[in-house]
Amino acid sequence: MIGIAVSLVLVAIATAAIYPLKHLAPVVSLSVVYLPAVLLVSAYWGLPLGLATSLLSAAAFNFFHLPPTGRFTIADSRNWVALGAFTVVAATVSTVAELARSRALEADRRRAEADLAAAVARDLLGGSETESALAAAARRVAVALGIGPVAIELGTVEGDRRRRALELTGADGSQVATLLVPRRIPADTEQRLEVHVVPALGALVAIALRRDALQSEAVETAALRRSDDVKTALLRAVSHDLRTPVTAIVAAGHALGSDSLTGGERAELSTAVVEEGERLAALVDKLLDLSRLQAGRAEPRRDWVSLEDVLHAASEGLSEPEANVRLTVEPDVPPVRADAAHLERAFANLLENAVRYSGGLPVSVQVRRSGPRVVARVVDQGPGIGAVERARIFEPFYRGPATGREAGTGSGLGLAIARGFVEANGGTITVESLPGQGSSFVVTLPLEQPGQPQPEPEHEPALPT
Amino acid sequence: MTAEPRPRVLVVDDEQQILRALRVILRDAGFEALPAGSAEEALDIAATRRPDAAIVDLVLPDFDGVELSRRLREWSDMPLIVLSAVGDEDAKVRALAAGADDYVTKPFGPRELVARLQANLRRIAPEPEEAVIRVEGLEVDLARRTVSVDGQEVHLTPTEFDLLRLLIRNRGRLMTHRDLLLSVWGPGYGEDTQVLRAHIANLRRKIEPAGGRRYIRTDPGVGYRFAL
Repeated sequence: MIGIAVSLVLVAIATAAIYPLKHLAPVVSLSVVYLPAVLLVSAYWGLPLGLATSLLSAAAFNFFHLPPTGRFTIADSRNWVALGAFTVVAATVSTVAELARSRALEADRRRAEADLAAAVARDLLGGSETESALAAAARRVAVALGIGPVAIELGTVEGDRRRRALELTGADGSQVATLLVPRRIPADTEQRLEVHVVPALGALVAIALRRDALQSEAVETAALRRSDDVKTALLRAVSHDLRTPVTAIVAAGHALGSDSLTGGERAELSTAVVEEGERLAALVDKLLDLSRLQAGRAEPRRDWVSLEDVLHAASEGLSEPEANVRLTVEPDVPPVRADAAHLERAFANLLENAVRYSGGLPVSVQVRRSGPRVVARVVDQGPGIGAVERARIFEPFYRGPATGREAGTGSGLGLAIARGFVEANGGTITVESLPGQGSSFVVTLPLEQPGQPQPEPEHEPALPT
Repeated sequence: MTAEPRPRVLVVDDEQQILRALRVILRDAGFEALPAGSAEEALDIAATRRPDAAIVDLVLPDFDGVELSRRLREWSDMPLIVLSAVGDEDAKVRALAAGADDYVTKPFGPRELVARLQANLRRIAPEPEEAVIRVEGLEVDLARRTVSVDGQEVHLTPTEFDLLRLLIRNRGRLMTHRDLLLSVWGPGYGEDTQVLRAHIANLRRKIEPAGGRRYIRTDPGVGYRFAL
């Protein structure tokens, strides 16, 4: 409607403008004054209105300006030629203008599509997880095409009553996701959607998924490398720590077969077989504990546990029964909710470590309540641990530097096992130490109020897997 | 019991239990064990008691068995056997380079340990040289430089004969690549294990019946020994 009004107004203006010009040029040549109107209308409102404006201009020129004026007749036959020429020129101008207009429109659309593709690429490849980026990309498609709610779902999804499913395929032609669009959308939008948006979107989603896969592969590779390191260390430990007691047992067994044994020797050798066998069994237990923790199989069976009981059991189980362990449990310490067997293994390993490095001096254990937690400190009077070592001390197979005859007798597994069991039960373990002043291993366990069980915290043993 | 004094063997290991067992095993094999729990103690005993041979564990509390082998070798020519639980080639090779004569991997069979010890002691007190050495079907005439297998004469190149002579005169003892290359090829060939491997392969093809007896044993990455 606006187009028709503009056309009428412009033709009227041109008709009026010719009157003052009649004194300057022959009337027949002044038809050009209508051409800007034709051009303008064609460029903005398209070919049909442009052609109509051409015809209107020709009629107005004839009626108002070509003699005899005031009528649609022409006296001079040369003026018919002029009018015909004008009409042809005007029609040509309309067509050219229409072409330019449609090209500009097409260019706009292409740019919008390119902008859309770039924005979607940023969403999908910009770093966040593909699944969460899909929602943002879908919103952009909906806004850019001016259609209702759009969704992108991974894999193949069926359409429903209100939404239609379009396949999004990667470069290899396999479907990676589904684009869900409203059932009713305009035909030209439909065209753009299928010809331009869907292929680009499919390619981008495929790339994003590939990137996700590569990223998780990289994470897996790193984890595998770490677990390889652990396996190498395990092999070395198995090679040395398992072979040593086996060697002693085999050698003692051979020696026991000798005819020349004295009674004392026989007793010594059979003691050796028993002791080395027990040492071997303890090491095998530790290796099993560690592999259970590393495989994530150490699910705690939680129950109300008294730390005092756990600590008594742990210190009674020490391989050196004469070891001097002083236990102090403050009276207000409530039971904790944990796996008693796990905690016993954890404290047994901590105590064994403390006794080993305390050089015969007493080891003390203090348990007290601290707000919503129970804190147990295992304090030895050993040589202490330097800062560099403190960072590595909980790693499997890490052993402290050699100091005296006790050096190198540990498995290098105890602290790793202690940490694994404490963390599996929702607690933490840290070490505080000053070289020369002994070390404190601090175990902190969360408290639950009896009768108000809290949801079990998610946990993962912080060991390399 | 013979009137002859028993050969004394220094045994160095930080495991008391292993020392106890070895004392009995060595006594039954006709040796006297001199146990030491650390490298320092071993050096003291070696200086005061003059052992005839030593068995040294690679992992010791003060310094390791490689270093101990080097220090013992500085003034003693006695046979030195390394006991290693590590099972890693690198440590063995370092110990052999430091002067050890042989190694036994833990857990060891006592018979094997004793056999190695005796083979290495023969190096110190060689039996009177025989002109003809016979091992099962193999006959080596050192004077005439001829070799026959099951009565059939085999032709060996001079290098192959020299290799065989060296291995068979040191029956049971580990001969490192370096030992063999230096003795047979001379200085300047000490690292050329590829050449050695090729000659050993040829020698085996000639003297070992296909699928039958194996006279030459390989210690991978270390050397060869002639089977006892």
